[in-house]
Amino acid sequence: MFLKFSLRSIFYGAGGGGNDIQWCFSQVKGAVDDDVAEADIISTVEFNHSGELLATGDKGGRVVIFQQEQENKIQSLSRGEYNVYSTFQSHEPEFDYLKSLEIEEKINKIRWLPQKNAAQFLLSTNDKTIKLWKISERDKRPEGYNLKEEDGRYRDPSTVTTLRVPVFRPMDLMVEASPRRIFANAHTYHINSISINSDYETYLSADDLRINLWHLEITDRSFNIVDIKPANMEELTEVITAAEFHPNSCNTFVYSSSKGTIRLCDMRASALCDRHSKLFEEPEDPSNRSFFSEIISSISDVKFSHSGRYMMTRDYLSVKIWDLNMENRPVETYQVHEYLRSKLCSLYENDCIFDKFECCWNGSDSVVMTGSYNNFFRMFDRNTKRDITLEASRENNKPRTVLKPRKVCASGKRKKDEISVDSLDFNKKILHTAWHPKENIIAVATTNNLYIFQDKVN
Amino acid sequence: MLAKGVKRPRGEMEGGDPEPRDPSAAPASSLFNISMVKLHQSLRHVEPNLRHLVLVANTLRRMQDQMQREAGGPMAPDSPEAPSVGDDLLLSALDSSISTMLEDLGQVEVLSPARPEEEQPLAGASGARQELARTSAPCLGPLELLSSASYLLEDGLEDIFEDIDTSMYDCDLWSPTSLSGFKAFSGAEDSDSKALAGAEDRLDMSDLDYLMDVLVGGHAL
Repeated sequence: MFLKFSLRSIFYGAGGGGNDIQWCFSQVKGAVDDDVAEADIISTVEFNHSGELLATGDKGGRVVIFQQEQENKIQSLSRGEYNVYSTFQSHEPEFDYLKSLEIEEKINKIRWLPQKNAAQFLLSTNDKTIKLWKISERDKRPEGYNLKEEDGRYRDPSTVTTLRVPVFRPMDLMVEASPRRIFANAHTYHINSISINSDYETYLSADDLRINLWHLEITDRSFNIVDIKPANMEELTEVITAAEFHPNSCNTFVYSSSKGTIRLCDMRASALCDRHSKLFEEPEDPSNRSFFSEIISSISDVKFSHSGRYMMTRDYLSVKIWDLNMENRPVETYQVHEYLRSKLCSLYENDCIFDKFECCWNGSDSVVMTGSYNNFFRMFDRNTKRDITLEASRENNKPRTVLKPRKVCASGKRKKDEISVDSLDFNKKILHTAWHPKENIIAVATTNNLYIFQDKVN
Repeated sequence: MLAKGVKRPRGEMEGGDPEPRDPSAAPASSLFNISMVKLHQSLRHVEPNLRHLVLVANTLRRMQDQMQREAGGPMAPDSPEAPSVGDDLLLSALDSSISTMLEDLGQVEVLSPARPEEEQPLAGASGARQELARTSAPCLGPLELLSSASYLLEDGLEDIFEDIDTSMYDCDLWSPTSLSGFKAFSGAEDSDSKALAGAEDRLDMSDLDYLMDVLVGGHAL
């Protein structure tokens, strides 16, 4: 109650706006040393629907779930720290014998199901296989079996002279993760997205050329709802880059392409949604044309607002907000790192131009966030039109230290505290960020570390 | 400089010029060469990153269009006229290589074996590439990959199936239309496949077993 009120007062009260929030360092998870183990590279970050749990997936196929501790929230010193709740190996490297190649175990996406009972459920996917995991707590264990010793060994029935009723006794909390469903063999190409439908019974999975619809209970079949594979592969010029279900409308989903278009489809129209209901595309700015126009227009992420009225897309240099009722151009465009436009050639040479940045909304859809290079991340307040650049770095690692805004100097004289474009470290990229669904808590992933920032609580 | 002591990022890193340049100032031919290298590296993977491949290929086509348009105008001293013709052939050769590689990806869905007749256009393509390529990197075309991987086989991939009853290939059930997509394979009425596909955690291995059984004629579909 208190938190909801303060959120509104921050945004709509005196001085409202995302940038009047003072973001403070809260925690950092992961190894300290600069030598990054390949398996530790974080590949996805996702809060659950309540925000109490925060899941990360990494290149080694592991999922780590953090849980927010509840006690401190009441004391209102901070919003509660996130501590490790469960760690499990979701995907293992596999070998495809037909094609003689190794299937990477890297977790591409994690999506949580809304909580129905005591257990938590999430979907995790690598390039080929989606798995439904159940995470449950065990804090009691049965004791006093008649036929088994405490260590599990079986007793000789002839030695049993009396009978007793086993009872549950408390034990140290154990969190178990078990795979409940494995959805395999439905994707020829690499899965880039999964999205759970608002009916909470079905979900979609998208690869480069196809989108499939699954029922959570059924693993041995899926419906193909989008197929953009050309009959003649010579004609392949476009791939699917992301897909998402509408948050409220269970028949509606969108998918984005490498050519910068977004298609909205209605599953009621036909079984195969190859014809879109709406096509969102902004005409190319002729003054900015270059060899790289298409690459930088390629959409790396698409996210509906919580309200369902807008959707946000991320391309290489910008974040765009689209009104679902207007197809010919976005209603808002925010430049993430326009200073890179003159460096596209080098960024093409070192492949950075192909980096896929994600983006996210805050709980009230008033602020959007996305990552950049040099471990910088950016937030744009849609109401005040102000933006801020912050850095995820261990240098500011005292809890409740307010983060200092950063600024990149594009050209000319560099002011004090500014960083010149040429000094940016392009190996330090923030591709994955997540915003707590209700509070001003954000999770920002650098290559192998997870940073948690919170707004300053007075 | 792009960054202090540029470290190679994870993944591909061509020996590109690290000096930041305005894209319009960079000579199109060096960008073209870089793109060619990228394309080759992409095609080298059994399962290339399709997005990367498509974007690079499209960018190459743009460059080719540009170079062809400029072919009439004044040429830079280090780019003789030959490249536009050569690049044309190069690109069509690339087109067929890309399509063949991608076609092979598509073949997995209907479980047909690699077709030997595909090697013909590849031979032509890699030949053209070797004659006309201006990149410094050796062009490792798909044909060369096949031959290097088939050191065990004298005559190509058909040798894999030498000891297998080839009457299976005449079976109607193998045709693409009746299989109706690999993804429905484990969803159909077939009780055998359902039984095998029953245990979720054995799903992958049981698929393989099933396929191997079919190949050696142990199971009827």
